[in-house]
Amino acid sequence: MDKIIYAILTSNDRRDELTKLLSEIRGISDSALFNITYNNISVVAGDFSSNKIIVDKEFAIDYARVIEDLAQHFTLLPVRFGTLMESPDAIKEILIKYYDEFKQNLQKVENKYEFSLKVLWDYEKCSGKIRIKTESEDQNAAKLFHHNSISTDYLLKKLKKHRFENALLKHVEQLIEEISSHLAQLNPIHKFQKMVTPNIILDAVFLLEKNKKDEFIHAIDHLKSQHDDLNFLLTGPWPPYNFVEITLK
Amino acid sequence: MQENIIDQSKDITILEILDRVLNKGVVLTGDIVISVADIDLVYLGVKLLLSSVETMQKNKLSTVKPSLQIK
Repeated sequence: MDKIIYAILTSNDRRDELTKLLSEIRGISDSALFNITYNNISVVAGDFSSNKIIVDKEFAIDYARVIEDLAQHFTLLPVRFGTLMESPDAIKEILIKYYDEFKQNLQKVENKYEFSLKVLWDYEKCSGKIRIKTESEDQNAAKLFHHNSISTDYLLKKLKKHRFENALLKHVEQLIEEISSHLAQLNPIHKFQKMVTPNIILDAVFLLEKNKKDEFIHAIDHLKSQHDDLNFLLTGPWPPYNFVEITLK
Repeated sequence: MQENIIDQSKDITILEILDRVLNKGVVLTGDIVISVADIDLVYLGVKLLLSSVETMQKNKLSTVKPSLQIK
């Protein structure tokens, strides 16, 4: 039976509490959970038979639920779904080898929550408004070309597309600027992804102190009220999935 | 209509969960790590769910309460 790893957490002097918690929650396919500990850090794992079963969405959700339950009691680093090892000894080996990296990352996310903010718009409607604004510039550019030909048509078309894309990007950057300055006093660590799809113009994640949760939600609500044409989709609090950046070989 | 909103919120939350457990977190690789075989099946589920977020905009659903309850 293989062992699937769920999370790496700071157990400190709370090992009994951890053992008790693990006896109360179940892993994927109702499997029992156990911990492997070295100094003050523990790896939470469970049995997993990868040969007999097909991995599906429900498994991933069960996996996330275990991490969520653990995160309510301990500071942790979620491990990416699908990490299997052959034995508890192999897990212990990894824990000892990368102890310092785990410790450093656990300190970074200690006492913090992650939130996700997706900003959506009606692409057809909103981009139409931006297109109208850039059209006057396009007309000026057209005047520079005295002769109409296939090549000038092609260049004008490219220029028009370029200007429109730039204007879209500028619009999103202004929104990021507004969000950043509005949230500045809460001092979150953030990551922004622009234009994820035509309708999702912004996909942002924030890491902030747990005691700033209500202020943060209130600040996003305020932003929402300032933008009737945008939908703000806020989810959280999450364990710090997006702020763990360690790949170990 | 209310039921529809709840269903969409659920889909969006599942999308967020799957995106996290499949793409984020500590990555362990190497000889002593075995990877899960059929993980592509889960990715397929994520692609299908992405359309839920897009649908949300079309249906003008503007409020998904940010709380633990929706997870």
